[in-house]
Amino acid sequence: MKKWSEVALGVITSIGGFLEVGSIATSTQGGAEFGYRLAWVLVLGTLSLALLMEMTGRLAAVSKRTYVDLLRERFGYRFFLLPLVAVFLVSFLVLASEIGGVSIALQMATGINFAWWAIPVALLGWVLLWRGTFGIVEKGTALLGLVALVFAVGALKLHPAWPAVGHGMLPSLPSDNRARYWYLAVSILGASISPYLYLFYSAGALEDGWTMEHLGVNRVTAGLGNVFGGGLAVAALIAAALVLAPREIKVDRYEQIAMVLASPLGRAGFVLFLATLCITCFGSTLEIVLALAYLLAQGFGWSWSENLKPEKDARFATVYTVLILLAAVPIAIGANPLTLTNVSMVATAASLPVTVIPLLALMNDGDILMKHVNGWASNVALVVIALLSVALLVAALPLQLLGG
Amino acid sequence: MGAVHLAHDVLDAQLVDQAQEKIGRVDVLLLELEEGHPPRVATIVIGGSARAERVGGWFVALRRGLRVLLGRREEHVSRIQFDKVRRIGDTIELDVDEKSLESEHLERWLKEHFVCRIPGARGDQK
Repeated sequence: MKKWSEVALGVITSIGGFLEVGSIATSTQGGAEFGYRLAWVLVLGTLSLALLMEMTGRLAAVSKRTYVDLLRERFGYRFFLLPLVAVFLVSFLVLASEIGGVSIALQMATGINFAWWAIPVALLGWVLLWRGTFGIVEKGTALLGLVALVFAVGALKLHPAWPAVGHGMLPSLPSDNRARYWYLAVSILGASISPYLYLFYSAGALEDGWTMEHLGVNRVTAGLGNVFGGGLAVAALIAAALVLAPREIKVDRYEQIAMVLASPLGRAGFVLFLATLCITCFGSTLEIVLALAYLLAQGFGWSWSENLKPEKDARFATVYTVLILLAAVPIAIGANPLTLTNVSMVATAASLPVTVIPLLALMNDGDILMKHVNGWASNVALVVIALLSVALLVAALPLQLLGG
Repeated sequence: MGAVHLAHDVLDAQLVDQAQEKIGRVDVLLLELEEGHPPRVATIVIGGSARAERVGGWFVALRRGLRVLLGRREEHVSRIQFDKVRRIGDTIELDVDEKSLESEHLERWLKEHFVCRIPGARGDQK
């Protein structure tokens, strides 16, 4: 019985935590400019993320070590610096974007400019981190994040032509605007597969005291949770395709994204859009700050746990305190949140090889995983994701210049 | 466990003290060479300067430059005799107390001068 409640909570957490500033922005941009044609990229990104989360969760449950622990222990300090620096930089950019997302939602709700909101939002997040436990930070924000289900309601009310949506789930090449199409494809993948997600997930497995008995919970949480969460991103793309594309509106401000829900659901849709943007971005803000603190603490072997009082892990607590305030600075001095979001999604996509390729070795290491090493199907999938990550690294900069 | 692979199982492993508190990782392992005796694994080193040497000369120089800019002079490195090792497993347990370790200087400094000055910091579990 306890198992089932854990599974249910895990799945709900993944659904409520899936949408955030990057997926909301890139899915609706994709729908507005290319209709359903980029839906297959969301499917690809969601499946890749589900596999990566299952694997890093399995590593943690079996070895009692996080993915970061193993990156340092098995590849040595010299190599470890590479994922450390890359993940740190891109996650910091994404963090600033999430704070931007919350601030924009508050601007739309109150009329007070978003720049004024950045520091108060960071302070509120910090209070929750300082006082709250891991369960409160993870489950609390994810449960509230279920408000994102409104995207599914909005998409259904617009009565999409399902055969056309199904067609969009299969890869296709655009006849024109190729640079922009691939730029958005890379952004969508960067928004779906963020390293902070699986770093946070594998640290969370230890925070929640996972053992081998949680391998089933892990599989269902990573699989079902992400598939449903990805479904919400597809719903956002569908709604944008039906609301924005016919009016030839390209998303260059968050206000335009609100129309995606305000059009089918009226005033309630607008309010629920603001709630979704505000809550999901706030939840991701907390997750990313913690992921960054975990990254440093685990990499250097410091004491860490969100369930400990700050005096028990002073370096860990100092890191999240300083980072959440620093990340508010770009938004507080008026950086455009949507531009920041787009740049950070492409940077994220480019950073993937350094955290995906090492998994190939770890997931086949019998010393760590014993009989739970990858089977051939998981290995084939992981090789495909690794190749995809290299393609993203190569394509990111040229596409940012041509299509951004 | 019969044999322990130094590079695989010891270098970079998580260290814990007598009370199972995390106290860093094995940043460097030193062999002792003494006239008339075979070399033996003698010392575990924990600390940023030791770590930096593993990366390369450019990294040592970069680190030194940053420290000059920040006005930090003292290096806080711990050298622990290998016979303090109590257990080698998922983590390596040392017969030391974190409070006596030079490499935990920053943890203590932040705790005293920053973290504990903010309300709600004290205690064990939240």
